[in-house]
Amino acid sequence: MNTRFILIAVLSVGLAAGAACGSKPSPSGDAAGPSGAAPKFTIGMSQCNLGEPWRVQMNADIQAAAAAHPELKIVFKDAQNDSLRQRSQIEEFAAAGVDLIIVSPKEAAPLTEPVAAAFAKGIPVIVLDRRVLGDAFTCFIGADNRRIGKAAGAWIVRRLGGKGKVVELKGLMTSTPGQDRNAGFREGIRGGGLEIVFEADMKWLEPDARQEMESALARFPKIDLVYAHNDPGAHGAWLAAQAAGRDKDILFVGIDGLPHEGQIYVRQGLLAASFEYPTGGREAIETALKILARESVPKEITLASRVFTQDNIEAGGEWLKEP
Amino acid sequence: MTTSASAPSETRVRRALRSSALRALAALLFVLLIGVLFNADGAFFQWSTHRDMLRHISVFGILACGMTLVIITAGIDLAVGSVLGFTAVLFALLSLQLGWSPWVVVPAVLGAGTACGLASGTLVARFRLQPFIATLAMMVFARGLAKWISGGRKISSAFQAPDGAFQYREVPGLFRAINSKLFGGNIAVVTLIFVVCVLAAWIILARLRTGRHIMAVGGNEEAARLSGVPVGRTKLIAYGFSGLLCAVAGICQAAQEQQGDPEAGATYELTAIAIVVIGGTNLMGGRGGIGLTLIGAMTIGYLEKILSINAVGEATRLMLTGLIIVGAVLFQRVRK
Repeated sequence: MNTRFILIAVLSVGLAAGAACGSKPSPSGDAAGPSGAAPKFTIGMSQCNLGEPWRVQMNADIQAAAAAHPELKIVFKDAQNDSLRQRSQIEEFAAAGVDLIIVSPKEAAPLTEPVAAAFAKGIPVIVLDRRVLGDAFTCFIGADNRRIGKAAGAWIVRRLGGKGKVVELKGLMTSTPGQDRNAGFREGIRGGGLEIVFEADMKWLEPDARQEMESALARFPKIDLVYAHNDPGAHGAWLAAQAAGRDKDILFVGIDGLPHEGQIYVRQGLLAASFEYPTGGREAIETALKILARESVPKEITLASRVFTQDNIEAGGEWLKEP
Repeated sequence: MTTSASAPSETRVRRALRSSALRALAALLFVLLIGVLFNADGAFFQWSTHRDMLRHISVFGILACGMTLVIITAGIDLAVGSVLGFTAVLFALLSLQLGWSPWVVVPAVLGAGTACGLASGTLVARFRLQPFIATLAMMVFARGLAKWISGGRKISSAFQAPDGAFQYREVPGLFRAINSKLFGGNIAVVTLIFVVCVLAAWIILARLRTGRHIMAVGGNEEAARLSGVPVGRTKLIAYGFSGLLCAVAGICQAAQEQQGDPEAGATYELTAIAIVVIGGTNLMGGRGGIGLTLIGAMTIGYLEKILSINAVGEATRLMLTGLIIVGAVLFQRVRK
């Protein structure tokens, strides 16, 4: 049939274009590594999704750290938020006999077994950000949301001089980061005399944060500070306050501190502070190099994180003290 | 027992209830009543609450206007959220990062959105793909486009020079204009854009021959074809118009966020469909109207706003929203 033929032709052109698109932005593309020197080691990296800017940043950090080492070739795969797809990616890496696997798992349970299988085959595995169950992997690298939330709480208490009305815009409260950033914050402000006048789940989304903040503004003539569980949430709240002409009376604090996001908002003076939730991309490559050089590495590395404020942003932020 | 005196008034009530518009209004009034009862210390009685509700629902409402036309043709457009994301990124990219003039950017973005709609429309009209499948494919494809042209990052007015330092462009006047309020700060510009979209869709549906064609195609496609209605072209117009409005919504979204987010608009298609259905437009096609969609948008908007000002927890919020959608649609279906 003529029309069917045209349809198939159009679809295949579309697919080809799609495939071409997919390989263009380097951090999310398939293969990477300098073309000159022959790479000695192949590292497979399975990212659970590239929908979140933070994960795009993680891949970019890995890419940037690896760029200084021509002996490394990184193969990136994106599991598109699908545990089973991520499972087969790890199996593919193991079957291809890569020298090391880095995985940032979507969920612990479904990925424990494939990670353990690759590890049992003698392939070192670095688990990034989210955990797997048991201990059949080489090294876990991650940051501690609870600690960051606590540091943010303590910073806010100091900044407000111990009292004030605070709005908390929470990340998705069925997700562990949302729960930890909430619990840590509550721990950090305990006994500080702050009053949480309004809290809402903005599900990490900027438009939702803006809407919730509008409600908070309508209800409370005086708000001193907004603590949002991520920087887009804090930015959404700032947009709402700006539209109401109240952005100068309120301080905004967010979490994540991505160079393209939170750090920019701090530089522009929209956020009073952003607390870094480090991706661990650079540390993963440093650890990988040690493992490949047969040096010993710790089983668990907890990433230190920084706070960015207008005073220290030019100096690259300030490291949070160990609690 | 009905006395003869009360009979005429009762039939008037019955006749009134048979009208979809009045039923939709009744659902809206019911939601407003909830707002009056749970007014969050009087926050519901401030005009700013209503103004902000109208601002928030505008982007969804704009999508729902295009969706209404498509649904009346007995189709569905699942791609609206993704096309919104793609056009928002394109708008931010061209104006924030490349600094093009709005006189070039706006037509280009509107053209891109329309092209996406026409592509879905071609698949439906020319290649006889089911609308669900065709627009599902466009939904995935447009999201891919959004991620590709943005490199997966949000496009804002800040960009990194090759040496790593950050530079900021002044946010263009068009962004600030769309994000501002008019009439003494009493109505958001995006709400006015929404009103313009409602009027445009109303003119097409109620005043142009195309509107009658859209109704005919959705009512009985074969009969419409036999009576000389250009079925394919009518569907193309409906999907193309939906794509155009996605671009309008994308521009509004980017201006309000002051950035182009490649993830913007995810799941917005569901809200747009809910708005159309709560208004009383029939998913089977052939019946409905743009006024209904306007009421549906207000109903969903007020519902969200009332739950938000009362700081109702997320779980309760989702359950209540589900219940009220079912309630409103059941109410629409009650006969006589």
